[in-house]
Amino acid sequence: MKLLFEMPDKDRAVFEASGDGEKLLYCVPFTIYEEKFVKGYIAITKSHIYKILDGELIKTYSIADSSDYKVDAMYGSCGFYAKIDGSTTMICQFVAGRDLARYLVICKACEFLSENPSEETITNSEPEKFCPKCGRPFVNNTNICPYCLDKKEVYLKLWALTKGLRFMMFSPFIFSFVLLVLGFVNPYLQKLAVNEYFRPYEADYIPTAQQYTGFLWLVGAIVGVVVLSKAVEILQSRLLAVAAARFSVMVKTLLYEKIQSLSLGSVQKKSTGDLMGRVNNDTSRVESFIINTFPHIFIQIASLIGAAIYLSFINLTMTLFIVVPVPFVLFLIKVFWGIIQQRNIRLWHAERRSNHLLQDILNGIRVVKGFGQEEKEIQRFAAANKKHWDIGAQNQKYWDTFFPILTHIVQFGRYLILFYGSYQVYKMNLTMTGGMSVGDLQQFSALAVYIYSPLVSLTDIPRQISEFLTSAGKIFEILEEQKQVTDIGLPIDIAIEGDISIKNITFGYESYDPVLEGVSVEIKKGEMIGIVGHSGCGKTTLINLIMRLYDVNDGAILIDDVNVKDISQAALRSQIGAVLQETFLFSGTVRDNIRYANPHATDEEVIAAARVANAHDFIVNLPQGYNTMVGEKGHSLSGGERQRIAIARAVIHNPRILILDEATAALDTETEKLIQEAINNLAKDRTTIAIAHRLSTLRNADKILVLDKGKVAEFGTHEELFAEKGIYYKLVMAQREMAYKKAIS
Amino acid sequence: MAENMVLDIENQDLEEKLFEPSRISIDLTPENIRFMRSPGNLISVDFTNHKGEKEFLERVVIFRSFPITNPDEFISVREPDSKKMGRGKEIGMIRRLSDFDEETVALINEELDRRYFSPTILKIRSIKEKFGYTYWDVNTTSGNVTFVLNNPFSNIRILEDGRIFISDMDGNIFQIPDTKKLDQQSFKKIEIYL
Repeated sequence: MKLLFEMPDKDRAVFEASGDGEKLLYCVPFTIYEEKFVKGYIAITKSHIYKILDGELIKTYSIADSSDYKVDAMYGSCGFYAKIDGSTTMICQFVAGRDLARYLVICKACEFLSENPSEETITNSEPEKFCPKCGRPFVNNTNICPYCLDKKEVYLKLWALTKGLRFMMFSPFIFSFVLLVLGFVNPYLQKLAVNEYFRPYEADYIPTAQQYTGFLWLVGAIVGVVVLSKAVEILQSRLLAVAAARFSVMVKTLLYEKIQSLSLGSVQKKSTGDLMGRVNNDTSRVESFIINTFPHIFIQIASLIGAAIYLSFINLTMTLFIVVPVPFVLFLIKVFWGIIQQRNIRLWHAERRSNHLLQDILNGIRVVKGFGQEEKEIQRFAAANKKHWDIGAQNQKYWDTFFPILTHIVQFGRYLILFYGSYQVYKMNLTMTGGMSVGDLQQFSALAVYIYSPLVSLTDIPRQISEFLTSAGKIFEILEEQKQVTDIGLPIDIAIEGDISIKNITFGYESYDPVLEGVSVEIKKGEMIGIVGHSGCGKTTLINLIMRLYDVNDGAILIDDVNVKDISQAALRSQIGAVLQETFLFSGTVRDNIRYANPHATDEEVIAAARVANAHDFIVNLPQGYNTMVGEKGHSLSGGERQRIAIARAVIHNPRILILDEATAALDTETEKLIQEAINNLAKDRTTIAIAHRLSTLRNADKILVLDKGKVAEFGTHEELFAEKGIYYKLVMAQREMAYKKAIS
Repeated sequence: MAENMVLDIENQDLEEKLFEPSRISIDLTPENIRFMRSPGNLISVDFTNHKGEKEFLERVVIFRSFPITNPDEFISVREPDSKKMGRGKEIGMIRRLSDFDEETVALINEELDRRYFSPTILKIRSIKEKFGYTYWDVNTTSGNVTFVLNNPFSNIRILEDGRIFISDMDGNIFQIPDTKKLDQQSFKKIEIYL
């Protein structure tokens, strides 16, 4: 993240004049002043903060007099505050999205300066969200600026990607070219037929044998050309179908492999919908462009140019008749497409609104019925639906009216040709010199189509190219993303015993906003540690770090005295097992789900694991026992049942370190007891780290770790913490009161 | 073990203290609160809290409960959030801003205008679309500005009374009180998104 912006000269001069010759350490822009949009700068040296706007020094604050730096997000903007001489003051106001993260870092920097006034600066590696070239925002979670997308780069990368498919990709060009030539041949043959063999009726005319065979040859040739071009077309489509399938399989596989290999950090920053969109929609858009649009563009242009040249050889004057109206026609088409596109966007949006409404109502159908609001919802939907169809009907009317007119206008040049051509034919018949034959006119008119038809489709191509480039950009962004969590050069495969030591770690999903700060804990092998704390205090983050789903920003996590970064990820993951809050079951059978981490487990092992997890009894009672389908489309299981299957999954994995993230949902006492037993069975002889929401889970914990606002608040045995009367004591009391209230109600 | 331990302790007083709220929101009237401009040009208050004690706060923050539909009523006066204490507690609520004298209202409005900074669009100079992103160039009550929307349809919120709120990718919020009052050129440009 950029923390030292370049000021314009006049602002720079003000800074030079007012500063005591101290080095500029940070310089960040602020964008709002007295309710106006501005471009000013906050310049920070080791002892002062300067607020500079348009060549004027607005205010100087001394860091020695300031404290409690804070960024406050407001509605539509943010404020940067500090206590100056004990009184809270707003240093500047700025637009949120652009600089919020930057000012959070600046807060840290100022705190650092007030403790330690030196020229040492802090840095931040968070990527910028704005194009460095034009300052406009990137596409969400990417570094693509739609405004300055480098087209050449995308094309070059795509070219590299098409290795092995190039013959198939270019075959359309060859075929299309053949088709084009054949297309030119046919009008020529027709011309010959008309000029040589079509004549006015003469009663006693008998064609010679030579004429007869000649005519048959000609007919044969016309039929042959048609058959040949159809054959080429079929071959082309078949090849294209194969190339398209291969291309999309290849790109999708590449993308999927990459997504799987990326760390949770980069994957979770993008939504599932976004990733699915990239794997499915964006690849098919790119595929369709490469396979269909690209050759299409080529062939349209070739046909346009080829036809123009060919025609001008036949008759230059008449070619001009065709070409002259072209700019006008192009303009008309562009206007027409523009209007149609805008109308379609509106229609699409109305459709989305009514679909969204429908989805909303259906999802909340129980609420709707529960409050007796059916009538109101029907009216709401009817209104949205009517708007959608009104726009749709309007668009259709517009299209149906103007498209036929447009196509006629586009082909207007043809009437000119017919008019002028007929005159030429008439002149030739009259004088037998100059002018043109009927056959020539026929050929000319047929070829004119090769000029007009590309015009209509070519005007829509810029839009298609832009869509394609965005999609391609999105794909490459994933393919080129660097892995955040990577194995070091020579990762160690160790057999884990289970000692964990967490040494002064700091971590934040966004590096300027740490979730855990300076956490240190020692866990001995075989111990069970319970982690408690308010929601958002960093419990789940801590176990994510132990599993190395993310890498710590500072400090280290050691397992058996080896830094987790040095242990190969394969070794680490195979010896750590997790039963997570969302007990996700994949679509498949119960058996598949239990042996997910160990697909070669025997049926005996599966049953044994299920028994340990207290799951065997209910599984046997399912309609098809262990072969019952579960997951999205399968048999629905209760929360407690799902949890026990997840526990069985962990049992079969037989990890040295067990991570438990207890589900928050309340379970009935009986189920809770079963799960508690299962967890106790599982935790035996393993290092276990459990996040507990029910304190009863901690009954067997050797030690309890209380996290508060990202720091270790308390750590010790239950008895020790209880005696301390701190946070843990309060939590126990609060839960006890709830249990008590529940009991008496 | 844990549960037994808990049951052993019967200390009613301590428990009550533990769960007692530190502050209860009160109805603010000119009688029980006085707003003052702080040396840092923000707002300080002198007030009588729910326990009847006099209190001075160097800084309070002020929120609207209904910034869009009812901006001058139900004004929430709160302690600022802080790293140590977490979310700031509500000191009290002003039922109607007009209950206070003009000077106080002006002071409070100054703070509210800063918090709810949302310039009104006066004229739309151009809207360009590129790769599905729309680039706007507009004149507003806060000066000329360019901004970007990633999806004009979900970023433009149309209220039932015809007011329009536009939230851009940077987090700005712009408003148009009445599209019909825009000049024709501007209206034509925004029309397709409505």
